[in-house]
Amino acid sequence: MPREAEPSANEKAFLLKALQDEQIRLDGREFDQYRPLELTFGDEYGVANVSLGKTKILAKASAEVTVPFADRPLDGIFTIATELSPMAAPHFEVNRPTETEVLLSRLLEKTVRRSGALDTESLCLVAGQKCWSVRVDVHVLSHDGNLTDAACFAVVAALRHFRKPDTSMENGVLTVYTPAEREPVPLGWLHSPFCVTWSFFGEEGETALLDADWMEEQVRVASVTISLNRHGEICQIAKLGGVPVEAVALLQCTSVALTKVKEFSTYLDDKLAEDAKRRDKGGFMAELRAENDRIVG
Amino acid sequence: MATVTPEASLNALPRADGSARYSYAGYTVTASVNGPIEAQRRDEHAYEAHVDVIVRPSAGVGGTRERHLEFILQSSLSQIILVKNFPRSVIQIVLQVESTPENAYVNTKLVQASLNLPIIPALFQTAVLALLSAAVPMKATATSTVVAVVSDDGSKKIVADPSPQDIREATSLHVLAFTSHDELLLSESEGDFTVKEWDGVYENAQKICCQTASKQDGIDMVLDDDASSPDMRHFLRSTLETKVASDLHWK
Repeated sequence: MPREAEPSANEKAFLLKALQDEQIRLDGREFDQYRPLELTFGDEYGVANVSLGKTKILAKASAEVTVPFADRPLDGIFTIATELSPMAAPHFEVNRPTETEVLLSRLLEKTVRRSGALDTESLCLVAGQKCWSVRVDVHVLSHDGNLTDAACFAVVAALRHFRKPDTSMENGVLTVYTPAEREPVPLGWLHSPFCVTWSFFGEEGETALLDADWMEEQVRVASVTISLNRHGEICQIAKLGGVPVEAVALLQCTSVALTKVKEFSTYLDDKLAEDAKRRDKGGFMAELRAENDRIVG
Repeated sequence: MATVTPEASLNALPRADGSARYSYAGYTVTASVNGPIEAQRRDEHAYEAHVDVIVRPSAGVGGTRERHLEFILQSSLSQIILVKNFPRSVIQIVLQVESTPENAYVNTKLVQASLNLPIIPALFQTAVLALLSAAVPMKATATSTVVAVVSDDGSKKIVADPSPQDIREATSLHVLAFTSHDELLLSESEGDFTVKEWDGVYENAQKICCQTASKQDGIDMVLDDDASSPDMRHFLRSTLETKVASDLHWK
């Protein structure tokens, strides 16, 4: 497939000069300002459409009953699939993962899966025999930089919006109810981690920008992705290569990241509440609900 | 919540040459078109452009079913794109399925290797819209529909745009596509049917796909006889007219 055109030397110099001498970003944003983040839920449960400026991501969560892994009989299966198609940008190829794709899937894995955001033990139905396999498919529709933050937000939003079919166990017989028989139930969710990516510019990485777009991403000298939840619990910090950055600067980045994550968290809660209100059948259906209220932190 | 009338938006994706989002009868598909672009060695053809169709399911990885859909779409779209104009290049069409109609009475399985005819019109329509938005030269536009033959107490009934329930009960299912010159472009069938039934299906589908051709003077006349089946050609036209009008707004 065709190679992506790199920015010309002039474009690079212009961007850097504007950043360092004039303290201005090309799109006029503040250094620690995100592009407008928008989230819409689909008609189905577990579909989140996220757009961060021109970056557009669709995440879809789905669940089915399978056999658990032999070495983990008490855990359900949780996978995040990120496959970049040529839709995101023509230089991505089908079935040939690029570096971007590998890094993205590993970061999401570390942030959402390994931080224990989803309670995988609650996905177990019959120990060693039956469990839920929850899968989130991340579809990048348009790539304009900062895929990590947008994808992470989309995954968390999709999983928190998702409802899996209700089940019951009677005399060793497992019944999976269809949505018509019983209201689907939400997943066991423990905390909501979000990614915040900083990009560094200049010879020693002295300028730090939040939410770099595609142009800025091509010019940056280093980047660091911090994943944390609203309580300030850091799940991971990934700084993969690039120029070294001072520890003090990193600490500062982390504290700004916390305020951003709190904003994300509130925004997501508001959107979920709004969607729940839209779907709320009220009255009798609310009375018939089988699940307990879960406090989501 | 299936949409009653088809809906489409063009150029939703800023990075692609052309793109479209189309939703109808519970299906929502987003398509992007890039082209003509440089071909890889294995796709390069000395005399014509290679039409590369990629179908991606909303959940799970694509399998034989998606490859089959890709094959059907690729062979019919190469017929209408002027492939001879772009030797040694690729026209890349990526179709991302966003949602499919839900059935509250069945729990869906993720991996289904079965044939999936009802999704073809949505994929096809989105691809044509995206091709138009990318300004890829074409011989003609095309419209597509799915028709089911349902046996109703011994007598056979033809249902256009069948619901998942109808599809389950149908004796046969047909997907047809017509070009804007009223020529049959694609015909895929599944199930048991007679030649007579197929003729009925053909007539019905042609009516849905090719209605405006004879009624170009009045748009209002289209909605007279049966409101149940939308007029696809008129829809395609009005979508593009809206797009062109908004693009030329500055004039």
